[in-house]
Amino acid sequence: MTNHWNDLKNSDCIMAIGCNPAENHPVSFKWIEAAKEKGAILIAVDPRFTRTASKADTYAHIRPGTDIAFIGGLINYALQNNLIHKEYVREYTNAPFIIVEKFDFNEGMFGKWDDNEKAYDMNAWAYAMDESGRARRDPTLKDPRCVFQLLKKHYTRYDVETVCAVTGTKKDDYLRVAQTFCGTGRPDRAGTILYAMGITQSTHGTQNVRAVAMLQMLLGNIGIAGGGVNALRGESNVQGSTDHGLLFHQLPGYLPSPEYSDATLEATLAKRLPKTNEPKSANWWQHGGTYAISLLKAWWGQDATAENGFCYDYLPKRSGNYSYIYVMRKVLQGHVEGLVCMGMNPAMGGPNSLKEREALGRLKWLVTADLWETETSIFWKRPGVNPKDINTEVFMLPAAASTEKEGSITNSGRWAQWRYKAVESPGEAKSDLWIIDQFSTRLKAVYAKEGGAFPDPIVKLAWDYGHEPDVHRVAREINGYFTRDTSVKEKDKTLEFKGGDQVPSFTYLSDDGSTVSGCWIYCGSYTREGNMMARRDPTDLPNGLGIHPKWAWAWPANRRILYNRASVNRAGEPFDPKRPVIAWNQVEKQWQGDVPDGGAPPLNDDKGTYPIIMNPEGVGRLYALTLRDGPFPEHYEPVESPARNLLSRVQHNPLVKVTSDIEVDLDKYPYVGTTYRVTEHWQAGAMTRSLPWLVELVPNMFVEISQSLAKSKGIRNGDRVRVSTERGSLEAFALVTARIKPFIVEGRSIEQVGMPWHFGYAGMATGDSANILTSAVESPDSSIPEYKAFLCNIEKGGTRP
Amino acid sequence: MRERKAFSLDRTFLIDLTRCTGCRGCQVACKEWNQMEAEKTAFFEGEGYQNPLAMSEHTLTRIKFRDYQKDGRNEFAFYKEMCMHCNQPACASVCPVGAFRKTPEGPVIYDAKRCIGCRFCMVACPFGVPKYQWSKTLPLVVKCTGCYSRVKAGLVPACAKACPSAIVYGNRRDMVDEAQRRLAAWPAKYINRIYGLGEAGGTSVLYLSELPFDELGFKNVTSRPLPSYTWAALRLVPGIFMGVGASLTFISWLTQRKDRLRNEEETRKAAPARPEEK
Repeated sequence: MTNHWNDLKNSDCIMAIGCNPAENHPVSFKWIEAAKEKGAILIAVDPRFTRTASKADTYAHIRPGTDIAFIGGLINYALQNNLIHKEYVREYTNAPFIIVEKFDFNEGMFGKWDDNEKAYDMNAWAYAMDESGRARRDPTLKDPRCVFQLLKKHYTRYDVETVCAVTGTKKDDYLRVAQTFCGTGRPDRAGTILYAMGITQSTHGTQNVRAVAMLQMLLGNIGIAGGGVNALRGESNVQGSTDHGLLFHQLPGYLPSPEYSDATLEATLAKRLPKTNEPKSANWWQHGGTYAISLLKAWWGQDATAENGFCYDYLPKRSGNYSYIYVMRKVLQGHVEGLVCMGMNPAMGGPNSLKEREALGRLKWLVTADLWETETSIFWKRPGVNPKDINTEVFMLPAAASTEKEGSITNSGRWAQWRYKAVESPGEAKSDLWIIDQFSTRLKAVYAKEGGAFPDPIVKLAWDYGHEPDVHRVAREINGYFTRDTSVKEKDKTLEFKGGDQVPSFTYLSDDGSTVSGCWIYCGSYTREGNMMARRDPTDLPNGLGIHPKWAWAWPANRRILYNRASVNRAGEPFDPKRPVIAWNQVEKQWQGDVPDGGAPPLNDDKGTYPIIMNPEGVGRLYALTLRDGPFPEHYEPVESPARNLLSRVQHNPLVKVTSDIEVDLDKYPYVGTTYRVTEHWQAGAMTRSLPWLVELVPNMFVEISQSLAKSKGIRNGDRVRVSTERGSLEAFALVTARIKPFIVEGRSIEQVGMPWHFGYAGMATGDSANILTSAVESPDSSIPEYKAFLCNIEKGGTRP
Repeated sequence: MRERKAFSLDRTFLIDLTRCTGCRGCQVACKEWNQMEAEKTAFFEGEGYQNPLAMSEHTLTRIKFRDYQKDGRNEFAFYKEMCMHCNQPACASVCPVGAFRKTPEGPVIYDAKRCIGCRFCMVACPFGVPKYQWSKTLPLVVKCTGCYSRVKAGLVPACAKACPSAIVYGNRRDMVDEAQRRLAAWPAKYINRIYGLGEAGGTSVLYLSELPFDELGFKNVTSRPLPSYTWAALRLVPGIFMGVGASLTFISWLTQRKDRLRNEEETRKAAPARPEEK
C-alpha cells in the first residue's frame, strides 16, 4: 500500500475493486466503518454481490477481466468533466511532458510492433528531450504531443455506453460510481482504491494496477491521507516476503537481480541505476549502488571488499524468467531435480492443478515444510495415482506456527510489527528460521569438506546467527551496522559511530564497504535505541490521522504515507488543511507531521525536490516508459473470453503467449469462470481445513451460480454439479443465489460460475480444487496467471457424495 | 427472589447489523472460549453460507444469513443470534429449581448443577434461546453465559472482543444513547427501532438494522416482561390461596355448624325429661 490500514478512516470515498475486504480482510472493516461514520461512501466493484457489497453504498457489477475498461471509463469521465486536480496533475505528474513523434496508437496496437520479436520497440515511447537532457514539457497541457493530450485522446473511446457494454455494469450504477469517485478530485476530498487478486491475476494485471494509479494521480489522491493505491496483501507476511526479494527478478529491498549478461558490479550498477538531468528530482534509486554493496557486505562479510567487487561474482546470475510458472514448467519437463516448498503448495495454488501435481512426480526429491500434510506433500498418494508409479523422494519437515516463533510480520501497510513466541511448538516442529539456518550451516559444511564446481559463494557466506538461531541477530543485520568506526558530518554536527553500531537510517549507508545492510528499506527498524518494530505506543500525531509514529515501524524510514510530498503545494502548504499529512513550518524550517518523503524543503525553495522520489523524473507517470505492453493501459479481453473486444480489433494483450490448453469455443465452454476466497478458509486450505470450527462453517467445495443458470440447467440449491474447462473438471455443491447475475454482452446473456479455491484432497475436510480449471496463461509483465477469468461449462450431477 | 427495577448499568451489547459483515469471528470465538464441539455440517444450512442449522447445545451464538432481493436490489444480510440476557428473564421466572439468575452485572447465567432438564425455560423463552443436550443421556439445558467469568474479570465477552466492526459493549445506558445517536445521525440508513430496547421488557442485547427486523428473522416479541404474564396470575395465588382456604374454612364451619346444631337438638330431644320441680 502507498498508505496503510488505519488511514482508510480518513477517506471520503473507498472503492474496492478486484478485492473483497469484508471477507478477506475483515478487520479492515473497523477502519472502513470509521470512515463511513464520518460520511464516507463505500463502492464495491465485483462480479458477485459479496459480503463487501452488502456493506457498500454503491455496488457495480463487473465482468471478470474488464477492469481496464471500467477504470479507463473513470479516467475518461474525470477528464471530460474536468474533475481532475489540475495543480497536482500539472506539478506532480508527467502530464506536461512531450512524447516523441514515433509514439502512436491505432486499432488496439501501440507503435511500433515488431512482428518477429513479437514485442514493441519501446524506444518509440520515449520522452522528447531538450538539449540539456531533460524532458521537454508544456505546462499549459495543450500541446497535442504532451502526455495529457495523448492520455485524453487514448481514453475518449472509453465513453460510458461502451464501457458498460464491455463490463456489463448497469449504466446508472456506473454513473453513480463515476460521479462519487471522480468527485474526490477536489483538493479537499480524498479517495482511496483498494485492490487485490481480482485485478492482478490477469494477462493485463500490471496494466490494471497502472490504470488505478493513473486515476489516482489525475484525482490528486496519491500521497494524501485517505487516498492512495492500496493493495490488500493476501498473506499476513507476504509484504515482508516481497520486501526481502521473494520475486525472482529482485534482491532484497527491490534491487534488481543481476542477469547472466551483467558481468561486473560496476557495469550492472551503471546499467540498472537510473540517471536524470532533472535538477529538482531526488531520483532516489541513484543510491541503489550503496544499498547493493551494503547487501553484499551482509552476505559475504569481510570477504566482500572493494577490490573484488564486494563478491559480486558470488551472486547467482539468472538467465531469463524464473517465475513460478516457468519453474513448474521446467519441473514438468523433468529438468529440475529437487524442489523445496516452505509453506507453499503448488499442487493447490498454481494454475492447472492436474499438471502441477503431475509435475511434482518428475522430481527426484521434494522437501516440504508445513504445519500439516498438504496436497503437495502427499501428491504421491493423491486420488487416482498409484504411489508405486512415483519415484520422488519426499521429505516432510514439520514447521512451527506463527504463535510459536518470534519475529516481525510486515502488513499490507508496510508496518513491521514484532511478534513474540507464545507457546512451544508441538513435537519436532521448527521455525522457518531454524530450518533455513540448518540448511545453510550444513550446506556450508558439506561444501567446505567436499568442494564442488564453485563452492565459494556458499562456503564464504557470512553466516552467524547464533546457536538457536537468534532472530534478533538477523533483524539487526537486516537493519545494518557499521563495519568500522565511522564519522559522519551532518549539517553542523559530526556523528560518531563505532564498528558494530546499528546504522540509524539508509542515508548513512555507504558504498565503500563500511556498512552492512540486509535490506536497505528496513534500515532504521533496529537501531542503537533498540527494536523499533517492537514499539507499542499508540499515541497519534496531533493531526489525528492515524499515523501513530511510535507504534511498531514502517518502511521506509517509518514513513506511513508514501509520496506525501504530493499532499502539499509547491510552498509546502497542505492541499487539504483538514488532513495535513505533512506541512512545512516556515519558522523552524522543517516538516511537521509524517516523515516527509524526502526531507528537502518545499519545491519552491532552491533545494526543493519533486514528490515522486522513486522515479528518475521525480513526478508520477501518467505515461509509463518501462512496461512492455504499452505506456497506457488498454482494454483487451481475457485470453478465454465470451466476448469480442469492443474497444479495438485486437482481442487480447498482444504480448501474451497463448498456451496450448486454452479453448475459446463457446459451444464447449459458454460461461465465465472466476475464483475467490471466503473468510472462513485460508488460501490453499492447509491452515484451515483441519480446524473443526472453521470446517463447521464451510465444510464443502461449492460453486455459486445465478438463479437463471440454475433454472436453465435444472440445478437446485445444494445439488451436486460438475464444472469443466479445457484443463480439467471438478465436482462441487451448487449454491444458487441472486447475488450472481449474468452479464449482458452484445445482447447475449453470459452466465458466470464462481468458486472458492480452498479445497483439495489433503486434510480433514476435502473437496475438488478450483485450480484444476484454471490455465497457466500469464501476464507478460509479471508472469502472473490469469486465474480470475476463464471459460467453463457446468452440468448437474456428480458421481461422488 | 427480589427483582431489580433499574438496568441502566447492566453490561450490554450493541450489535449494529449495518456494520456486520457476517465474518463469523463471533461464532468461532464463542466456540473457542467455551471449548465447544464443532457440529457436523454439509454444504450450507440455510441461506448464504449459514452453518450450522440452528443454535444448539454446541452452538451458543450463530450468524443467520439472509440472501434475497428487494425492489430489484440484492440484500445480503447477517444477524447474530444469541441469548438476549433479558432484564426480566422468562427462563429465570419459570425455572422450578432456580437454575437461572439475572446477575447484578447483567448476564443471565445458568447453574447446571441445579437443572433438572424439565425444559420449562425452552417453552418460556420468547426468543427460543435455551437449547437441550439431546446428545446426552442426562441432558441439561445450554445457553450463552454472557461470558460472565470474563465480565467479572473486567474483560468483554469473547464474541464482542473478536468482532472488528459491529459489536460495542458497555453499560446499557451508554449503549442505548449510542444507538439513539446513530439513529438520529443516519435516519435514512437505519430502521428507526432498537430491537431489545423494549422487547420482553428490555434486554441486554440491542440491535440496529437497516432492513426490517422481521425480514432478517427477528421475532416479534411483546414489550411486556414475560414474567409479568405469570406474575399477573401468580401474584394472585397467595390471595386466592388464602381466600379460597378461608372460604372453604367458613363453608366448612357453616356446614359443620348446622350439623352441630342439629346434633345438639337431637341430643336434647333424646335425653329423659327432667322431673318437674314440685
